[in-house]
Amino acid sequence: MNTAHKVQIPERKAFLREQIIKILPALNGKSFQMVLSSNLNVADCTRQTGYVCMVDDVLYVIEAEAEKAHYPLKDLTEFHANSGIGEVSLECRHKDRLLVLCRGDMSHQSEYATIAKRLNHYRETGLWDPQYDKTYNRYCPKCGRKYRHGSNICMHCVDKKKMFARIWEIASPYKWTLFLSILLFLVITGLNMINPYINRVLVDDYITPHAVGAFSGFCMVILSMLLLHLAIKGISIFRGMALISAGNKIIVRLREMVFDKVQMLSISKISKRTAGEIMQRVTGDTAEIQNFVVYRLSDIIEQSLIFVGISIMLFVTDWKLALMIILPIPLMSLSFRLFWNYINRIYHRQWVIGAKANTILHDIFSGIRVVKAFGMEHFEMEKYDRVTYEESEISARNEKFYSILNPVVNFFMQSGEFFLLFYVGNAILHGDMTLGEMTQFSTYVSMLYSGPVFLIANLQRQMTRLFTSVVKVFDLLDEEVDISDSTDAKNIKIEGNISFDNVHFGYDDATEVLKGINLDIKPGEFIGIVGKSGAGKSTLINLVMRLYDVEEGAIRIDGEDIRSISQECLRSQIGVVLQETFLFTGSIYDNIAYAKPDATREEIIAASKIAGAHTFIMKLPDSYNTKVGERGHTLSGGERQRISIARALLHDPRILILDEATASLDTETEKQIQDALQQLSKNRTTLAIAHRLSTLRNATRLIVIDKGKIAEVGTHEELIRMQGIYYNLVMAQRQMSKMTHDNDRDAKKPAVS
Amino acid sequence: METTTTPTVPSSAFGAVAQIQYLDETNAQFHEENGFISLRATVLNTETNQMEEKEWERVFLHAAFPFDMPNAYISVLDKDQKEIGMIRELSACEKETQEILQRELARKYYAPRITRILSVKERYGFSYWNVDLTDAKDFSFTVQDTYRSMLKVTHTHIFVNDVDGNRFEIPDVEALDRASYKKIELYL
Repeated sequence: MNTAHKVQIPERKAFLREQIIKILPALNGKSFQMVLSSNLNVADCTRQTGYVCMVDDVLYVIEAEAEKAHYPLKDLTEFHANSGIGEVSLECRHKDRLLVLCRGDMSHQSEYATIAKRLNHYRETGLWDPQYDKTYNRYCPKCGRKYRHGSNICMHCVDKKKMFARIWEIASPYKWTLFLSILLFLVITGLNMINPYINRVLVDDYITPHAVGAFSGFCMVILSMLLLHLAIKGISIFRGMALISAGNKIIVRLREMVFDKVQMLSISKISKRTAGEIMQRVTGDTAEIQNFVVYRLSDIIEQSLIFVGISIMLFVTDWKLALMIILPIPLMSLSFRLFWNYINRIYHRQWVIGAKANTILHDIFSGIRVVKAFGMEHFEMEKYDRVTYEESEISARNEKFYSILNPVVNFFMQSGEFFLLFYVGNAILHGDMTLGEMTQFSTYVSMLYSGPVFLIANLQRQMTRLFTSVVKVFDLLDEEVDISDSTDAKNIKIEGNISFDNVHFGYDDATEVLKGINLDIKPGEFIGIVGKSGAGKSTLINLVMRLYDVEEGAIRIDGEDIRSISQECLRSQIGVVLQETFLFTGSIYDNIAYAKPDATREEIIAASKIAGAHTFIMKLPDSYNTKVGERGHTLSGGERQRISIARALLHDPRILILDEATASLDTETEKQIQDALQQLSKNRTTLAIAHRLSTLRNATRLIVIDKGKIAEVGTHEELIRMQGIYYNLVMAQRQMSKMTHDNDRDAKKPAVS
Repeated sequence: METTTTPTVPSSAFGAVAQIQYLDETNAQFHEENGFISLRATVLNTETNQMEEKEWERVFLHAAFPFDMPNAYISVLDKDQKEIGMIRELSACEKETQEILQRELARKYYAPRITRILSVKERYGFSYWNVDLTDAKDFSFTVQDTYRSMLKVTHTHIFVNDVDGNRFEIPDVEALDRASYKKIELYL
């Protein structure tokens, strides 16, 4: 069923070709221009393997092991992928009728979308874009399972040895510290092994009824025991210090690596992951690795040494007894593990419901205004009560279960010692063993049972946790930096000319947001961008900032393709104010000075004044030193926006981008800022997006974007005369403001574009 | 996937203000050709404020409550995803129309049912499933972040989302055989 997926490009292409030739032998030896597979029946959407291929500009559709139809490419137009919720189909127009070529489940989504694009391109230009091979190369070559979106590690076939090598790569600068701590381990283990022996000497030679040793010897033994303990404790302190210092260095290094990587990645790579996920990788997963290197690894070494050491000692003393002790260990580990697995299972349920209760709490507290405004306090209280009650029920049941089962398991685990006691006691009675030997023996046994048994039982779980973290961290570290500076990236001084040359772009393969934008902006122009929500306005400016790279065509600044300008140079000369303003934790001063830390206080005040922020800042008790952001002073939407305008102005950019920058301001304030901006924008290029058209009245040119294309370009007057989309928008807004003579603050809340 | 309640005609003043165009036998005819649905309907032209008969070569369907009311409140959209109108209840349509629409919905919301779970292997945050589906035996798929990929419509009715965006339905987890149930119990 899935075999078609299990082969990778170009092997996959070859595999599909073979399958097709089996069904249509006539195509053997011909060159295939394109192949793709389908796994759903076109008519009734049931599972069925099929293929589509193109040979000599003829498309063959194969379904149910037979040719269903073939169409000359010249009869087919308008290829597109139509995605439902659980299926996707490749559709086109055959002469005048709509036609479904093939259908597949969602795993075919990007494949069909890409092929549709390429087929259209081929039909129009006669050229076959080789790029299409890359896009759906998402199968693991080893097991054929699909990679996670945006990842290039197959979690299923991760090479553990390689992962250990990667961990070592990070730990290696600290190898001497680690080596030292392992050496200290050896010493401690050795000393620990001596202790039972001294015990034996003490018992056998000095404190039995027929003791032969002298009192001075007795004192020596006690003294040596004391020294031994002192030595062990002293060395332990050193070991701990060595380990902690190595561990801290490792985690700092790892976090730096992950953090730097995240900063390097483009928005498109980052936005594939949630902020929480990245936080987890920077903090949680790196901590897990540190935890392993510092504690688990040393644990494993220590316990293995103890295990080997004690086993040797036991076998030397009495091999029969040793076998009796060591043979049950795997069995005990296994039963202990089963017990833990069961306990985990029942506690998992408790954890799930606990998390649910937390979510409810979080919801209530962060939405407390809504809860109170709708008078839903009682409803929320009941909801929370119900969950906590459920949680307490489960918890009580689990505790009861645990308190019954735990002693039982412990009893069984310790029952071995009774057998031992019986055997050893018997040996002593028969004079085969001394009391001291018994003490030594039982100390070894308890050391063995308390350490290695637990270790073996838990080892696998710990390793799984480690590998989960390691894989996740390296998955991120190995992420290819997709928007990178070319080796000969230039640093230029931007004049402000921006030209779009047939720009195509989509956030994913399936949907194209911008479909061929052509535009030339002269330095110093104020360009207003208008259009419906979702038309592609914000996308356009994201491309200018090069948060994403264009798919087709090019954006040039002063004649240079922005891909050949270094990113730092580009962004340092672009100032941006977005609708969602983000203030970092810190003072207002810090926030304004963010992009220009060496700005003078005077400059900051001037920028604030132009942005219309100075007046309200000076009304705050702490003025520019007011703390904002998390746990700081709460500012209104308009105030935050003015601070971010000041931030952008201070940056003194050659290109200023305003994405709904003044949307949360009242018209009065907006006008003031607009006028100030106009003064400033005389020799800088400004791109402004606004829904409220009055915002753009200073614009030298307006651009109307509709469905990913530029629909209208011109000055306000020209566009009004055209009586097109812009005209309708203006009329609608005029009507609106006529109806509500109020400030248009209430009249029109702009939608997020 | 039965409809739980029969939708009622809105009685509040809302209905009139919202101006949702409901399509039924009296004002709309659906046709199917080549797997595509076309529509001829009399709807309000918002610009002229007149009722007009129009034709659409192809329309799309989208359910408003796909999980708990898959056969009611179906939005009918044109090729630009603009809503032409809504169908209140499929069962109120003529049999032929009903079949056409149901077929289209079944296609769009294609979600094979899981009848038996052969294995679920958790590995580094991913789980690899082997299941029997209504239309395939021993089918395998991959799920990321298993717990969060289980969409719970009710306590027992769940959908599993795989890495590709496919959905697999388990209409009643308690109706699964014991061995299957045990394999997913942890995620419920």
